[in-house]
Amino acid sequence: MSKIVACYKWVLDESDIRINSDLSVDFSKAKGKISDYDRNAIEAAVKLAEAVGAKPVGLTFGSSKARQSLKDALSRGLEEAFWVKAEEAENADGAVTARALAAGIKAMGDVALVICAEGASDTYARQTASRIGALLDLPVVTSVLRVTVEGNTVTAVRKLDDCLETVKFELPGVISVLPEAFQPTIPGLKAVMAAGKKPVTEYDCGSLGVNLVSARKVMEVKAYAQERRNIIIEGDNAAAKVAAVVSNLKKEGVL
Amino acid sequence: MAGVFVYSDKSGIALELVGCAKAAGKEAMVIVFSQEAAEEVKNSGADRVFILQGDNEVPENYAQAVADFLKEKSAELFLVGATARGRDLAARVAGYLDCPMASDVSAISFGDGKVTTERMIYGGAVTQKEELTGLSVVTVAGGKYAPIEGSAEVETVTVTPDNRVQLVERAPVERKGVNLQAADRVVCVGMGVEKEEDMQMIRDLAAVLNAEIGCTRGIAEEKHWLPPEQYIGISGAVIKPQLCVSIGISGQVQHTIGIRDSKVIVAVNNNEKAPIFKTCDYGIVGDLYEVVPLLIEELKK
Ligand SMILES: Cc1cc2nc3c(=O)[nH]c(=O)nc-3n(C[C@H](O)[C@H](O)[C@H](O)COP(=O)(O)OP(=O)(O)OC[C@H]3O[C@@H](n4cnc5c(N)ncnc54)[C@H](O)[C@@H]3O)c2cc1C
Repeated sequence: MSKIVACYKWVLDESDIRINSDLSVDFSKAKGKISDYDRNAIEAAVKLAEAVGAKPVGLTFGSSKARQSLKDALSRGLEEAFWVKAEEAENADGAVTARALAAGIKAMGDVALVICAEGASDTYARQTASRIGALLDLPVVTSVLRVTVEGNTVTAVRKLDDCLETVKFELPGVISVLPEAFQPTIPGLKAVMAAGKKPVTEYDCGSLGVNLVSARKVMEVKAYAQERRNIIIEGDNAAAKVAAVVSNLKKEGVL
Repeated sequence: MAGVFVYSDKSGIALELVGCAKAAGKEAMVIVFSQEAAEEVKNSGADRVFILQGDNEVPENYAQAVADFLKEKSAELFLVGATARGRDLAARVAGYLDCPMASDVSAISFGDGKVTTERMIYGGAVTQKEELTGLSVVTVAGGKYAPIEGSAEVETVTVTPDNRVQLVERAPVERKGVNLQAADRVVCVGMGVEKEEDMQMIRDLAAVLNAEIGCTRGIAEEKHWLPPEQYIGISGAVIKPQLCVSIGISGQVQHTIGIRDSKVIVAVNNNEKAPIFKTCDYGIVGDLYEVVPLLIEELKK
């Protein structure tokens, strides 16, 4: 059975990031998560595979930390997970990430469709689908709002800045879906239990021959400084709180 | 011919990117895919305009051709307008070249065989400075650089596009023309609002404040209660009003990046732990269904 592959990334949760007073960034308390919109890509793979009788699988490029992601991904309806492993994944740029994912897609074989999300919640670079398509020289359609597969033909409606564009292509190919195209479902207890028993394949970047060297160097990482007064008006009387805020706004001269 | 090669499906952005390259003392060449597009950029002050001519109406289908062309011309940078199409074409070109790319940068500077860029990561909580070596691709949103003038020679090069993705149809999407960027006051509404008819209350608040209405992504893209150009954040609009009143918004960074240039931010949320209270100047912990009507009353006084 041919595969529909959802690519996903295990990222640090941005809401756990702490900012130090010198604007350096403390990631040490940050927990991992499957990048928000990648859950939509997983949902897309599951739904499309169901519609055409293909096998929905997940693919991630990640360090040893990404192990935690596998069960989560599999509980979302995927039947098998593939993990291209390298510690370098944590600082990989778009070029290295796409090379690793493309190598994983080649290695698993029999892939009809690759689905990426619009962008990852950490870098939000929006490169991966297009780069994978180029590396594998497959047709690519990005910004997909609606998609149907009939036989070998994919018809997709793209949402662009000033138009809705309908295009079609023959499988195999790569698409990126907009977050609003597929709403992820929250996995139930049964799905979570079943996930532990589903197959996982690990690939080593070395044996896949993935070039992990990038021509991009990170020079500096700095927090954005946010200076706000954070005056929370207290009290049980809503009308009094509203009056206090309005009077402050008048004093500020913004009313 | 070293130099910076510019592309945008929006001619206005292409003009700005030429301005960016020329201001840095670089040679600037514009790539277009049609005669009409060439007309729109031939007075951009670029050194040359290249029409890559093929029989395909989807610009992204020229990615391989552009990659080959950039190599042949020994380009140092492919500078692309960060629109949906531009990002896709740019990343595909970067894929065919297997070269570095920086997306949606807020700053760019040119060094010897290198470019240094700055961009937001983690939804806008953090900025990252990167150095790209060798032929690279960078995307930049419109509105960052000033266009210049001067006529450019136009040259046509015949190329072979990738015809595997076929255009079926295009339906233009009308913009309502709300100018959030220029608004002095904005009422921003989030998923705390339960029903579409409750939006009337938000419109009433905006009316007494003489404010425009903005929203979070979910209100536009999931609920469709407001058009997409009215949502604010990293993938939407960025506003800088005197006053931003945030109603029923949790305040995650992907949204607040779009409001943080406001002079004063007021937030109403019934969850005292909502992150919006860390991003606001004045906060009211309370039910918006109680607070908004009171606000309207108080402002009418
Ligand atoms: C890569 C990426 C890009 C994104 N880009 C954007 C973007 O550009 N713009 C954007 O907006 N989002 C963006 N998001 C989504 C963003 O992370 C948040 O999910 C979104 O902004 C949340 O919208 P919200 O605050 O309206 O909804 P929620 O997070 O659901 O918050 C609703 C809030 O309403 C409050 N509430 C509920 N009932 C009441 C009541 N009766 N009275 C008062 N308060 C109430 C709740 O306490 C809650 O805090 C992006 C996400 C990712 C991953």
